Amino acid sequence: MSASTNVMPFASRLTAGLIHRPALFLWVTLIICIWVAAWAGAVNVMPADWLALLQAGDDQPLTGGAYVLWNLRLPRILFAALIGAALGLSGALTQGLFRNPLADPGLLGVTSGAACAAALTIVLLANSDIHIPISLRYWILPVTAFAGAIGVCFLLDTVARWLTADSIAGLLLTGIALNALATAVIGLCTYLATDEQLRSLTFWTLGSLAGASWPLMLALLALLLAAVWYVRRLVNEMNALALGEATAAHVGVNVRHLRARVITLVALLCGFAVAWCGMIGFIGLVAPHIVRLVIGPDQRRLAPLSMLVGAIILLVADTAARTVAIPAEIPVGIFTALLGAPFFLVLLAGIRKGT
Amino acid sequence: MSPPTHHETLLALQNVTIDLGKRTFGPFTLSVKAGERIAVLGPSGAGKSTLLKLLARELTPADGQATFCQRHLKEWSLADLSHRRAILPQSHEVAFGLPVELVIGLGRVARTFDPDITNIVRQAAELACAGHLLERRFDTLSGGEKARVQMARVFAQLWDVEKGLLLVDEPLAALDPGLQFSLMDAIYTFAAQRGHAILAILHDINQALQGFERLIFIKDGSMTGDYTSQQITIPLLEALYEVSLISAVSDSGEFIVAPSKAQKSF
Repeated sequence: MSASTNVMPFASRLTAGLIHRPALFLWVTLIICIWVAAWAGAVNVMPADWLALLQAGDDQPLTGGAYVLWNLRLPRILFAALIGAALGLSGALTQGLFRNPLADPGLLGVTSGAACAAALTIVLLANSDIHIPISLRYWILPVTAFAGAIGVCFLLDTVARWLTADSIAGLLLTGIALNALATAVIGLCTYLATDEQLRSLTFWTLGSLAGASWPLMLALLALLLAAVWYVRRLVNEMNALALGEATAAHVGVNVRHLRARVITLVALLCGFAVAWCGMIGFIGLVAPHIVRLVIGPDQRRLAPLSMLVGAIILLVADTAARTVAIPAEIPVGIFTALLGAPFFLVLLAGIRKGT
Repeated sequence: MSPPTHHETLLALQNVTIDLGKRTFGPFTLSVKAGERIAVLGPSGAGKSTLLKLLARELTPADGQATFCQRHLKEWSLADLSHRRAILPQSHEVAFGLPVELVIGLGRVARTFDPDITNIVRQAAELACAGHLLERRFDTLSGGEKARVQMARVFAQLWDVEKGLLLVDEPLAALDPGLQFSLMDAIYTFAAQRGHAILAILHDINQALQGFERLIFIKDGSMTGDYTSQQITIPLLEALYEVSLISAVSDSGEFIVAPSKAQKSF
């Protein structure tokens, strides 16, 4: 019996998924990507700079390459990888929930809902007389974006339950409608915005990882670890959902609860990502796809591997975004699609030839 | 849970009606005992599948009482219910092309501790004539193979319990006669060994007469009859389906019914 089709005991799930051979390959790729990404940039980081932290003390601050590595580049690289992982995971969960390989958080309006809230804040706040202390300004956009993501999810669940009770297809269609609505509001804000506001809006609609810092990275790490721990208990039920909603209920899965849990989790992950990095498309859609093409649709392995693939894609895209036109930085959302789409097509072609 | 006594009532409906907005069904009064084999017969659109959905708890009664193992059906959690009753559906679609072994194993997804699952999955597959399909992907299977895998999933679900309930919704209609025969046989064996009751919606009158001891008639949204197979007569069946029937007895003594062109008024 081959290892890939073996039904693992339901008790050992996500952890087992991480030490399979494709996972090992992805971990190695990720580490190489981190190494290369750390080296590349306006200042090239040398191997010695990695060790500089050990020698540095209060009287001997980090300088040159070491300063860039430990204070700027490393937090950003790790942040990029974690955001990519969060997007990959939320994509895998969304596709599993909707039993549709085309569903992703972007399609449901979660990301555009967050960006819409941010855009409204940028434009309305500038046109009102409310005075906001400087210390709060840093937080106000992430918080509204986060609220936007959660709000759309809540609205999605309520409206879909009211219009098309207990139908996952209805939920998907409601999401598409909400997405169109949010996109329209973003368009309206863009139309009303001044030149300065427009620059700020571009950040939200095209995405950027320039806001990365150690505290933010650690907060995301904590969120992601909690999400992984939580998802471990959901993956089997997600697999059962592939049998259809009715049959999933027959084998003992409470589809309504599962749906609420998955939506909340996706809102948290996407909300965090959009709040700090703007809309970064494509990863949530394509990372689970790549994994499914290579190792199959079993959620127990799809979820962890989608995180790894998402991390690699976003890290590569972000490295390209900040190194292609030094000292300028190109929005990362452009690169995720620019690099990811051709790679994905090549992969599809290879699979086609193989079968 | 105390061990169930023999001929314990598994399922009881007491004047249950179902309200689907446009149409109401019922009242249904029915009790199913452990080990019974019940066929549900009736014309298309009469409400057979609606009754099955009520028993599967997809629909809730508008009125009346529905109990399963002496507890109200609505008080059961879906997980607990899945340990005692399984449903073999009419359609067999599975999204994403999961591996067959996983699909069968999903019958037991509600069990939190399940050390013997690999073994049970294999044995259930063997019983459903699907042992050779374990390594395939579900979406590459033919219609007949899919039916066998779904049956194995249902077997896995109720493999290690006794006196459960197996609801079957006309799963074999599209299969060739040989396969229909061997799969029905597998269901009978599986249920008989464990004392499970079978309640099956069937279109094939002969299958119902040969394999089932009790027949329930559903017509125009309500129950019109509850007979043992010995009580069944041609006029009863003709009134149910509003068609003339002819009958014959085979060399081996089996009673066979077929529609006839002769016109009768009902």
